[in-house]
Amino acid sequence: MSLAAGPGRGGGGAQGQLPEELQLVVEKHVAYIQSLDTRREELEYHLTEHLRISGIYWGLTALHLLGHPDALPREGVLDFVFICLHENGGFSPAPGHDPHMLYTLSAVQILAMVDGFGELEKKVPDGKTKVARYIASLQRANGTFAGDEWGETDTRFMYGALNALSLLGLLPQQQPDQPPMIDIPAAMAHVKACQNFDGGFGSEPGAESHSGQVFTCCGALSIAGEIDSYLGEAGKDRLGAWLSERQLPSGGLNGRPEKLVDVCYSWWVMSSMAMIDRLHWIDKGKLTAFILQCQDADEGGLADRPGDMVDVFHTVFGIAGLSLLGHPGLVEVDAA
Amino acid sequence: MASHGIPRVSGTLVDKSEQAKEKERRQIERYKAAEAEVIDRIRVKDYSATTLQATSTLLAQNPEYYTIWNHRRLVLQDAIAKEPTRTQPDDDIDAADLTAARLANQTPAQHQIALLLTEDLAFLLPLLKQYPKCYWIWNHRAWLLATATQHLPTSSAVTLWQGEMGLVTKMLGMDSRNFHGWGYRRTAVAALEGLSGGDVSLVEPEFEYTTKMIRANLSNFSAWHNRGRLIPRLLVERQASSEDRRKLFDAEFELITTALYTDPYDQSLWFYHQYLMSTLDTGNKHSVSILEPCTHGDRVRYLEQEIESIREMLDGAEDCKYIYQALLEYSMRYLEMEVEAGNQKVTTAERKGWLEELRKIDPLREGRWNDLESKMKL
Repeated sequence: MSLAAGPGRGGGGAQGQLPEELQLVVEKHVAYIQSLDTRREELEYHLTEHLRISGIYWGLTALHLLGHPDALPREGVLDFVFICLHENGGFSPAPGHDPHMLYTLSAVQILAMVDGFGELEKKVPDGKTKVARYIASLQRANGTFAGDEWGETDTRFMYGALNALSLLGLLPQQQPDQPPMIDIPAAMAHVKACQNFDGGFGSEPGAESHSGQVFTCCGALSIAGEIDSYLGEAGKDRLGAWLSERQLPSGGLNGRPEKLVDVCYSWWVMSSMAMIDRLHWIDKGKLTAFILQCQDADEGGLADRPGDMVDVFHTVFGIAGLSLLGHPGLVEVDAA
Repeated sequence: MASHGIPRVSGTLVDKSEQAKEKERRQIERYKAAEAEVIDRIRVKDYSATTLQATSTLLAQNPEYYTIWNHRRLVLQDAIAKEPTRTQPDDDIDAADLTAARLANQTPAQHQIALLLTEDLAFLLPLLKQYPKCYWIWNHRAWLLATATQHLPTSSAVTLWQGEMGLVTKMLGMDSRNFHGWGYRRTAVAALEGLSGGDVSLVEPEFEYTTKMIRANLSNFSAWHNRGRLIPRLLVERQASSEDRRKLFDAEFELITTALYTDPYDQSLWFYHQYLMSTLDTGNKHSVSILEPCTHGDRVRYLEQEIESIREMLDGAEDCKYIYQALLEYSMRYLEMEVEAGNQKVTTAERKGWLEELRKIDPLREGRWNDLESKMKL
């Protein structure tokens, strides 16, 4: 799966004209995603190898949402996932790279999507537990998670840990008779310490609010079952207000005040809105139109904003945003 | 990671000539060769200077290739681990180095480590300027400094961290919204304070830094955020009395109100105003206190004061949504506090009017204004 950008660009067909009625060009996107692994003659294919497994996850997710789950051959995908599995239970983005939380999450997400946990257990006895132990080993004393042994901590990794463990069925609440593999109360205390007075969340205590971090923190709270009790209606109003201000006149969403719109925030912001029941605080029609304008109707794929080069990352998050908005023809997505 | 802000190049304009393809093929070959050079050496635990150089070549081209940063750190760790095992005399270290070590209060081994780390910091500098938002570069920098702190005398570590503060100030001068920079600044401040054994606090200079940034550019969102974060600790360290606290609170309101009068359309300013108002709001778990004590009377008085002040901002800015949002928010809080007398200061008619204007100016958020209307129970 190439993470190389282009060749298409958002904003319509080759003549640079927007179609009269903005349509989701499903077949073009499917073809675009299928073509990504064939681009090995491009330097950028090689320069993005450090994200390869996430690229596969993004492409596969988009295909599932578009109703074409089999457009990437399951066996090829599984083979790649397994060669990325390391002795310590972590996954790397490609063979030869070091394991990391981010790519462990992508691997687990792929396995969940293609129903591959059975194959994992066959390949590696107690494979799921092994993976879970790797994830658990990255939790720090203050409750947060590191990305790898080199120690960078960020709420992205905490969300990754909780998401992956929930998919593996190994969260403490999913196996209450077993000793907990991770410390949920400590994790939750850390998430809460990352919240600011404006209702948003930052990457660490003291950091300014950022939509990406709002997503990871709300996701973590949701998975742990604490989002309603922690925020309450007042908290949801406050956070919802901050999130709703992300919508700009173009209809697109930005990540924090005074920043440019980007189609990927259609996911980070809208899924957070879904988790706090405030989806209706954003103009859905205008956002839908914006996302559709980010497509390349000829070559397929979506870009960060109309007129820019497409890539698989923006493709999946634009489509996921459309799914949350209830766009017809798309499979329903889970906000957390 | 993905492509952000890369303008479109139509498929037909991309050079697909045989010449261009051949050029790209060679680039790929060179890249894969550089990669193999590192991987092969690391596989046999060759942690020599040549391996270090090989990682430099690769990382300069692709700083996102985090595994290579990991390998680079293995090389550095190996070199560092070998240092203390030197036996006297230090005959492979030249005289200049021995002198420098003595002057810096370092053992010869420590000096070699310091040289190694500062060379790496120098290697990072141009990369950081080229890729200011690359997590892995900032991470490696943090690792170098943590390693320095671990191995070098305190005075050396302090000097290095002070250098980092200078670097961060430069980086934030280029892009004040770079959250990697702000995060690294927090780390540097904590490190310097830690190294002083708790004797030195940087809260005053950091507060002054936010003042400088704001003076240079009012619309400096991240600077306002940091200012707000520093105030509670600032007041504690100043051992501020109730009167001192009130003075600071009023001064901050003065500052932000003056700014708002010049540009009520600036989100960053409203954000800071909200922060000040949040310190009066008992309903917000994450609000801090500035006034101590903060009585019911205080809360009511400031709400009245600000509602009045914001009302006046409408003159000449009748289409500014932030003004109406603030009026509606604070009038609601005010009426919750002053249940009887409240509606003499802020009438139902006024509030209805503000909501109507807001709906007209900001139709994007219609769903939110509908919910607000229900909440207001007009």
